[in-house]
Amino acid sequence: MSRPRKDPRMERAAHLVPGGARPRFDLAATPATSGRLRRDPRAEERLALVPGTLRRRLDRSQRAPAVSVVAVAAPVEAEAAPRRVVIAEPAFLVALVPDAPGGRLSAHDRQLFGAARLLADAGGGAVLALVDGSSEELGAAGADRVLALPITGYDPEAKALALNAALAALDLRHVLFPESAEGGDLARRLAALSGEPFFAGAESLSPKAVTRAARGRRVEQRRAPPRLLSLAIDAIAPHAGSLHEALPVEFAFPETTGGALLSAEFIPADPARVSLAEADFVVSAGNGVSDLDTFRMLVAALGGTPGASRMLCDAGLMPRAAQVGASGTVLEARGYFALGIAGAPQHLQGVARCEHVIAVNTDLHAAMIERAGLAIVADAQKVMPALLRLLGEEGAP
Amino acid sequence: MRIALLLSAGRHRVSGRPAPVPVELQALRLAADLAQTHGGQSGGTVTGLHAGPEIGPLTDALGHGLGHLVHLRMPAEADPAPALTAALEAGGYDLILAGRSGQGGEDTGLLPYTLARALGRPILADAAALAPGAEAGTLSVEQALGRGARRRLVVRLPALVTVHPAAPAPLPFAFAGLRRGQVEMREAAPSAPAPHEVEERPYRPRPKLIAKAAAGASAAERLKAATVAASGGGKLLVDPAPEEAAREILAHLRALGLIAPR
Amino acid sequence: MTDLALLLSLIVLAMLVIAGALAARRARAWRIGRAARVDWAAGLMALPKRYLVDVHHVVGRDPYAARMHALAAGGLLAGSSLALIGLIPALGDARLFWWLTALAFAAAFAGGAMVGRRRYPTKPARLSGGRFQILPFLLAAYSGGGFLVALDASLGGALRPLGLLGLAFAAIGGIGLALQIDRGPMRHAFAGAAHLVAHPRPGRFMDERATALAPLDLDAPRLGVAMPEDFAVNRLIGFDACIQCGRCEIACPAFAAGQPLNPKRLIQDLAASLQPGGTNAAYAGSPYPNARPVAGVGGPGLPIVGEAAMIHPDTLWSCTTCRACVEECPMMIEHVDAILDLRRFQTLELGALPAKAAAPLMELRYADEPGGRPLTGRTDFAAGLTLPLMAQKGEAEILLWLGEGAYDLRYGRTLRALVTLLQKAGVDFAVLGAEERDCGDLARRLGDEAGFQRLARANIETLARYRFARILTADPHALHALRNEYSAFGGTYEVVHHTAFLDELAATGRLTLGALEAARVTYHDPCYLGRYNGEVDAPRRLLDRLGIARLEMERSGKRSMCCGGGGGAPVSDIEGERRIPDIRMGQAAATGAGIVAVACPQCSAMLEGVTGERPAVHDIAELVLMAVEKAGTAPARSAQVPA
Repeated sequence: MSRPRKDPRMERAAHLVPGGARPRFDLAATPATSGRLRRDPRAEERLALVPGTLRRRLDRSQRAPAVSVVAVAAPVEAEAAPRRVVIAEPAFLVALVPDAPGGRLSAHDRQLFGAARLLADAGGGAVLALVDGSSEELGAAGADRVLALPITGYDPEAKALALNAALAALDLRHVLFPESAEGGDLARRLAALSGEPFFAGAESLSPKAVTRAARGRRVEQRRAPPRLLSLAIDAIAPHAGSLHEALPVEFAFPETTGGALLSAEFIPADPARVSLAEADFVVSAGNGVSDLDTFRMLVAALGGTPGASRMLCDAGLMPRAAQVGASGTVLEARGYFALGIAGAPQHLQGVARCEHVIAVNTDLHAAMIERAGLAIVADAQKVMPALLRLLGEEGAP
Repeated sequence: MRIALLLSAGRHRVSGRPAPVPVELQALRLAADLAQTHGGQSGGTVTGLHAGPEIGPLTDALGHGLGHLVHLRMPAEADPAPALTAALEAGGYDLILAGRSGQGGEDTGLLPYTLARALGRPILADAAALAPGAEAGTLSVEQALGRGARRRLVVRLPALVTVHPAAPAPLPFAFAGLRRGQVEMREAAPSAPAPHEVEERPYRPRPKLIAKAAAGASAAERLKAATVAASGGGKLLVDPAPEEAAREILAHLRALGLIAPR
Repeated sequence: MTDLALLLSLIVLAMLVIAGALAARRARAWRIGRAARVDWAAGLMALPKRYLVDVHHVVGRDPYAARMHALAAGGLLAGSSLALIGLIPALGDARLFWWLTALAFAAAFAGGAMVGRRRYPTKPARLSGGRFQILPFLLAAYSGGGFLVALDASLGGALRPLGLLGLAFAAIGGIGLALQIDRGPMRHAFAGAAHLVAHPRPGRFMDERATALAPLDLDAPRLGVAMPEDFAVNRLIGFDACIQCGRCEIACPAFAAGQPLNPKRLIQDLAASLQPGGTNAAYAGSPYPNARPVAGVGGPGLPIVGEAAMIHPDTLWSCTTCRACVEECPMMIEHVDAILDLRRFQTLELGALPAKAAAPLMELRYADEPGGRPLTGRTDFAAGLTLPLMAQKGEAEILLWLGEGAYDLRYGRTLRALVTLLQKAGVDFAVLGAEERDCGDLARRLGDEAGFQRLARANIETLARYRFARILTADPHALHALRNEYSAFGGTYEVVHHTAFLDELAATGRLTLGALEAARVTYHDPCYLGRYNGEVDAPRRLLDRLGIARLEMERSGKRSMCCGGGGGAPVSDIEGERRIPDIRMGQAAATGAGIVAVACPQCSAMLEGVTGERPAVHDIAELVLMAVEKAGTAPARSAQVPA
């Protein structure tokens, strides 16, 4: 019998409070390890208790520091090696042209691979990725073949001409584009160039039919997938579960001459000047911020776009154009960093579409704290200089 | 500078009533500004072109600063491209502006590309601002990329440019402009009906993709995607030291890729 | 008759001639205005009543000013007239006659002294300086001098040296006053009289509120007012009637909030624009707060609004159209009409609206709803309630007009309360549902008359399809449009506000109200209900039925202050120093009330937007529902017989 036995005397001794003439025992204290680990529901409840409310409220959403007495064995991530799939003799080719900004596949691109696999796998076809430069992630994303396009810099017309040559020479059943700024442009250029039928912004896709909404989302248009397709974002799930070979293929592209484009110059977004509606990362101040100079320095140091609550704009401390909310600007930003903003309903309406919210506020029960992915209950006035210091230290190694 | 603006028969996004397409009114503003400030000695002219059976509320573009509107009347099912090509060729326009994509019917935003092809002119997409290029006969186009980034392109005129919603808001509507403006109606030469291969049915909203699990993923992956999404991953720090809070925030921002990694 | 008295009479005669010539010159300037249909005969007949009753009713709100004006104006007119008819030998020889004259001049002197005491040693900010500051001296010189001459004449020339001195003063003061007639303070005397005769809203003198805007002819060669000659002639007269007393600037919410609007200055700028080569340099009152720079020049044929003209556009768009200035104006000037005429030109002809105001007008054009929301969504607030639709019933006793507030989450609670009350009282009502369009108030106040007329005609057409006795609405803006402004387009309806209707239900016993103990409530009058429609008693009567302590704010009833939500001001969003609702909420909090009762979706939204420690905001309908629910739980009182 390997189970340790209970020794009441030892247990009692473990609870002994030292000092004092009379022996005192604190039975509530954590007992010494007795070999077997036990759950302590009371302690867990104490940790989950939300302080400061009149009614007892428990927060079991694991926000509280998850200190459990029991050391739970982490479930072993049984990462089964993905299935390798090789399509040696494809029945047909489904081509796709990802945007791949900066050489990396975007989420939209991955969905495009999902759609292409859907069309290819239905009849033993292979997926051909037409990319600017090679990338290692293409195999996992679902590409059987990879063809590099001879394009340098921004020249959509040359790219369309190259694609047109490939379309004419290779047996491509479909060519898929993301319905993004770049992909949509390219798809239409190719459609105009080749005269092939084109279906823009597909919202659902199967080998039999593609659909999309039209006329202000009043009707749904449907047809068999034509040769050229562009895919709306978040319509088709990306491909996963099998690894493809991403075999590079060769193709002799015709020489192209320079187009009408005289110059192209990329101007990165200047977060300080970009309009709030277009901003990617907004750092916003509310009533809890009184030192606006520090705030402006912090915004500049973080490379965000400054925003503000209605209170600050009304008080004239921030320009009206910086107001976030229903009566100001509704944001499309990826990140929103709220300093000293409690989160009035109108304000939250303005950040409803922000993916990530980080909040610093003194009130634990503020709506903004509730909304935030990282919530810090602290004085924004103190956190701002600390952030600046930290950024400064990092900047000067 | 002679500027043509393509106007399509749009619908209001909520009421579904015929209405001008907002981005085309923004294009009108870009055109009006360009014609007014950089028109040269002769001044610029902006002409609106619409091909379709009815002009409808597109006349409202006259109230938004358009001086002259040409309506090429044709049956609803006819292909507008030949008539528009002919009108654009005849007009000798330096710059042709169009919206990014229409809202109704077969409007897929393909027409500007077809026209550019037919006219043999370069086309640039998603303009947010226009200005004359440094060299005469060129146009500098600020192309809107995502998240406030721009690309400045210089193109030789004549050219076709589509406009992005990031362009400045349309000029406010002035009723008197509508009263003053003139609509010129021309019967378009009959053309073959556009190929119509789509089937239409009432729209039924489809759920957008939210769970991050991929198609063909294992059950375990789907479960992970669903549970991770549900828990939200919210993290709460109560009364940390400012330095600790700052470290947490920076680490979090870096993890999200919102600020540059160290 | 003494020779001095004769000279005094001649001085008066000379004054009359000078004043007449100057007045005629100014009157000729008015003739550039557009022709207006004015019933001159009826106006002239009504002038004494309009002046003595209506004007003095307004002036009398400031008792000091009323006494001052009665003495100064009455004494001046009486003394001068008597001195003039003293030229008739039979009267001029009567000593008693000169006694009377002396008495009249003495009264005028007392009035002049009161004018002086008001302006010296320190002038209140609302009064203008400049030429106005010498007015008391001129008055005192003329009336004092006249008094001495008349006294001398009444004593048969016994005080000749004093009389001589008096004659000198009277001559200086009298001619001085007469020279003030075309540009100075005395202009109000003759322009004011002409304004009262030719007033553009004669209904105001006939116990009507007369607040509806006049429809604009959309086929007119020019829409709205660009230049002084685009104003109707009786509007131009009205601008000249201003005496710069500054009561309007004290009442103006935009002025209080530090927005660039001062109604007094606006009227003065308009009056100055009438003068060829006119400038705003002579103005000596308080400026537009945070004034935007303008050239300050104008004249016939020159634009009024613009940075290179007289008035900055921001001034125009600061107005909430609350009519507080009109209500306070002792000369019955119509400031808001002038602003609307100017706005109409800006919007309809130039499309020069504030950036954020253009979007709602565009949505109105294509979706009949300023927020671009679906019309079917208007009844979403009533989820869970049964809301009878007119389209199904065809007829109902009461048509409930929901208005724009129905889309607002907060105001939806109010409408739910109202609908619940109607159901409890067993009222036969129905709503238009998706057939209800915006009433057009916002479009009209932003100057988009074309948009308003289209919406009005469409709504009238819809309403014509159904049979109902009355329209009930909780939105005073819709009430005003439906009741007063649709009639010009052929829609005449009996429209009742929900406060009046609930009061009626309570009075006839169809609603049994319990008492809301210990609640201290102050009522904020919506401008479009109180000032525009004169309904100030019914809401108070209703509140008093709830068994609460009703407190009054300093400004209440028809003289209430605006919440800042009217006239499209929230969408124009002209920057000031403070927000109007914050000021109003401060006044509400000063009464010590725990609840501000409102009766308008705009007021509700604006006052709910005030942050910080403040009284709660509840619509009267919500308070009534609370009282009805209280009555339901309390032991039933003997219900009255339903009517």
